[in-house]
Amino acid sequence: MRSAGEGEVGVEPLESTTSPQPSPPPGVEREHVGAHAPVTLPALFVTFLKVSLAGFGGPMVWARRIVVERLRWMSDAEFADLLTLCQFLPGPNVVSIAVCVGAKFRGSAGALASLAGFILVPCAVGFALGALFLNYAHLGLLQNVLRGISAAAAGLIIATGARLLLPQRRRPIALLFAVLAFAGLAVVKLPLLLVVLALAPVSIAAAAIEGARAG
Amino acid sequence: MSAPAALVSHLVLLSLISFGGIPSVLPDLHDFVVTAHGWLSDRDFANCFAVVQAIPGPNMILMMSFIGWKVGGLPTAIASGFATFAPCCAVSFSVFRVWDRFRDTAWQRVVRRGLAPVTIGLVIAGGYVMARAGDAGWTSFAVTAAAAALLLATRINPLILVAAGAALGAIGVL
Repeated sequence: MRSAGEGEVGVEPLESTTSPQPSPPPGVEREHVGAHAPVTLPALFVTFLKVSLAGFGGPMVWARRIVVERLRWMSDAEFADLLTLCQFLPGPNVVSIAVCVGAKFRGSAGALASLAGFILVPCAVGFALGALFLNYAHLGLLQNVLRGISAAAAGLIIATGARLLLPQRRRPIALLFAVLAFAGLAVVKLPLLLVVLALAPVSIAAAAIEGARAG
Repeated sequence: MSAPAALVSHLVLLSLISFGGIPSVLPDLHDFVVTAHGWLSDRDFANCFAVVQAIPGPNMILMMSFIGWKVGGLPTAIASGFATFAPCCAVSFSVFRVWDRFRDTAWQRVVRRGLAPVTIGLVIAGGYVMARAGDAGWTSFAVTAAAAALLLATRINPLILVAAGAALGAIGVL
């Protein structure tokens, strides 16, 4: 599931490219091994279209595999750096990755090309498919199937959150803010804006004090 | 404000503050469209969430499109999809431009350390609210708990867990 997969890059082992040298995009000659193919706007579009459609099991895994291992547009370290940035941006992490990779090589036109490939085509196809399902959602069997999927997918989201929490487990203050955010949203049912505005500044201040004490 | 306009403007706001990804907006959105306005039934909301798990592509954006579709037909579906990803993409694009200048600065690490726990709490809340949506009974909770535990403890492909959930639903135990 993609939404659950976003946060767990580096946890899933990315099988190294044992396959022979991957072929460059059509019409592009590879100059020598180690150099990456020119990052054109169509290449950005096609690449993120592939990442999106390969997205079973988490598009982030595929974004890394294609951009870093296959096309060599950037190094592992550069990709990891980008991922850190995108985890702290709003929105789906992998969408931010598409925007940032596009922007890195081709500015705003590149960001738009990546985004179009990543979102527009897959969404149009997915919408048609899903609309069909939803039209028959009242049927008993399909309703039961959807119920099962929903229950499992909710578990995947919870697991993703729990996994992100692991590195923080020795920081009581971090656990406190995680619990407060959870309770505010899920138990008290406060609006998201209120929860973020109330907790983020205090949590950042607490991290600053924590850092000052440690350092 | 008409229902479609209200939904789309609310999605724009949620997109801008969706730290931790779209799952973190689910509790707020559920409250807004199901509890406050009654545009969708609890069951419909859960169905929109479930259906997109079986479709490749950016599934949470698609989920917002389906909610828009239920509220105001195809135009609202398209507007809802855009409202979900365009605002946060604009933020990503702007932030990327200044990111390099401030890489590894102390304040940036502090901001990350501060935002991380809040983000995590929001994500888990998203999963919790979806586990409860659609009049889920104890068997559904058991499936949710088992899926979470298996993903944490093993290297199993998440898609297998979703398929197992579908199979359990199909034989009528949920």
